[in-house]
Amino acid sequence: MSRLWLNLRLFLRGALLSYIALFAWLRPATYAASKVVMPLAQILFFTLLGTFATGQANAHFYIIGNAIQIAAVSGIYGVTMSVGGDRWAGTLPYLLGTPANRLAMFSGRAFFHVIDGVIGVVVGLGWGVVLFGLDLSRTDPLALALAILITTFSTSGLGLLLGCISLVSLETMFINNTAYFLLLIFSGANIPLAQLPGWMREISWALPLTRGIAAARALIDGQGLHEVAPLLAGEALLGLVYLLVGYSLFRWFEYQAKRRGTLEAF
Amino acid sequence: MMAQSIRKNLRVISSAFEVTLRTNIVDSFVLFTILLQPLVIAVLAMWMLSGRDTSNAIYAVVGSGMTGLWSTLLFMGGNSINWERWTGTLELLVGQPSHLSLIVFGKNLGVVLQSLGSMLASYLLAAVLFRAPLHVEHPALFAVSLVFTVFAFVCFGLVIAPIFLMNPQVQHWQNAMEFPVYMLSGFLFPIALLPGWTTPLSYVLAPYWAARALHGSSSGGASQQEVLIAWGMMVALGVAYMFLSRWLMGVMLHKARADATLRME
Repeated sequence: MSRLWLNLRLFLRGALLSYIALFAWLRPATYAASKVVMPLAQILFFTLLGTFATGQANAHFYIIGNAIQIAAVSGIYGVTMSVGGDRWAGTLPYLLGTPANRLAMFSGRAFFHVIDGVIGVVVGLGWGVVLFGLDLSRTDPLALALAILITTFSTSGLGLLLGCISLVSLETMFINNTAYFLLLIFSGANIPLAQLPGWMREISWALPLTRGIAAARALIDGQGLHEVAPLLAGEALLGLVYLLVGYSLFRWFEYQAKRRGTLEAF
Repeated sequence: MMAQSIRKNLRVISSAFEVTLRTNIVDSFVLFTILLQPLVIAVLAMWMLSGRDTSNAIYAVVGSGMTGLWSTLLFMGGNSINWERWTGTLELLVGQPSHLSLIVFGKNLGVVLQSLGSMLASYLLAAVLFRAPLHVEHPALFAVSLVFTVFAFVCFGLVIAPIFLMNPQVQHWQNAMEFPVYMLSGFLFPIALLPGWTTPLSYVLAPYWAARALHGSSSGGASQQEVLIAWGMMVALGVAYMFLSRWLMGVMLHKARADATLRME
C-alpha cells in the first residue's frame, strides 16, 4: 500500500513539476498565443476554407473536427516538451539514476497536458458556439466531456511516444510539426474519412483523434453515449497502446544508454 | 561614388543572401516550413476544393505555396535579427560599416526565394498525386507577379524583424500569426468571407496584393488592370515598409545600445 502511495505521489508531483518546469509555453503571452489564439485561428481558417469549398451547411463538420484536433497541441507539443525537456535541461541522467517507478515517472508527464488539452478543446468548441453558432442543444454534455477526455488522453499517448524519440533525436520540432499537420489530414478533422483512399483510412484508424472526432460529431448530432461507446473504447485502447509503446521505448533507451555509457550524450 | 556605394551595398546583400541559403538548406525547420507544411495544406485544399470547378487545382497550388512563403518569412525572416543576437553575432554586425538593414534584406531575400520552393512542391504534388490540370492562364503576368511578390515579402520581413527583436512579447505570438495572415491575405479563400472590418487590414498587407496578383494571373480571375493595380500596391507597400523598417531599425539599435542588450543570452 505504501509503495502504491509512493508511486502515486511520484506520478502527481512529477506531473506537476514537469508541467511547470519544462512546458516552455507556460508564460501568459505564449500560452495565450499557442493555446488560445492559434487554435482559434486554425478553426477559423479551416472552417472558412471548408465552407467556401463545400457550403455553409457543412460548417459544423469543420468546427468540431478542428476543435477536437486542438487536443494535439497539448498532446503532442506539450507532452513532448515535458518528456524531452529533461534532456535539454541536463537532468535526464539524474532522472534515470533514481530508483523511481519508471511508469509513474513517464506517464505522469502527460497528466497535466491531458487536462490542458481538455481545456483547449472546450475553448475551441466554445469559439465554435460563439462565432459560428455551433448547436450543442442535442448533445449529452457528460458524454461529450468523456469523449474529449479520452481523445486528449490518446493524443497524449502519441505525445509520450514522440517525446521518447525526442530523447535521442535532434529533430524534435520537425517530428512534432509533421505529426501535428499530418493529423489534420488523417484524423478526419477536415476530410471525411469516407473520401480517403483505403490505405489512408487504415492509417487514420491507427492514429489518435480519428475515433474521438467521429464520436464527438455523433454526440453533437444527438446520438447517445452507448452509440459511440465502441469508438471511445477504441480511442482509449489506442491511447493505452501508444503509452505502452512509448514507455517500452523509454525503457529501451534507458537500458541502451546505461549499457553503452552514453547517458551524458543525451 | 554613388555607383561604388551601390556596389558595396549589393555585395553586402549578396553575402547575407548566400550565407542564409547555405544555412537554411540543412535546417530541418526550414525544410518543414517550405516543403512539408505547404504540402499538407495543398493536400487539404485540393481535397476540400475538389467539389468546385477544376480551375481550383491551380488556385490550391498557388494558395498553399503562398502559405509556405508567409510561414517561412514569419519564422525565419522574423527571427533574422534575433538569430544573430542568440548566436552572439549581432554586436559584430551592428559594429561593421554597412547598415544592418542591408544584411536583413539579404537574409530575407534568401528566405523568400527558398520558400518559393513550396509553390513548386505544391505544383508537383498536384500534378503527380492528384493528376490535376494545372494551367496558368497568363504565364508572363504570373512570372512578373512572382518578382513583385518576392520584393513585397522581403520588404515586409524588414518590418517584422526589428519588431520581434524590440519586443519579445510580440515574438511569443509568432505561432498565432500564421493562420490570420493566411485568411486576411486571401490565400485559399476570398477575404469577402471575413467580416467587413478586416478588409482595411488586408489592404495594408503586401501578401494580400501578392495573392491577388498570383491568383488573378494563374486562374485568370482578374483582369490585366487588376493585376497591374496589385503590382502597384506591392511596390507602394514595399517602399512604405522600407521606410518604416528604417525607422524601426534606428529605434531598435538605439534602444539595444542604450540598454546594452545587443548580446543577450
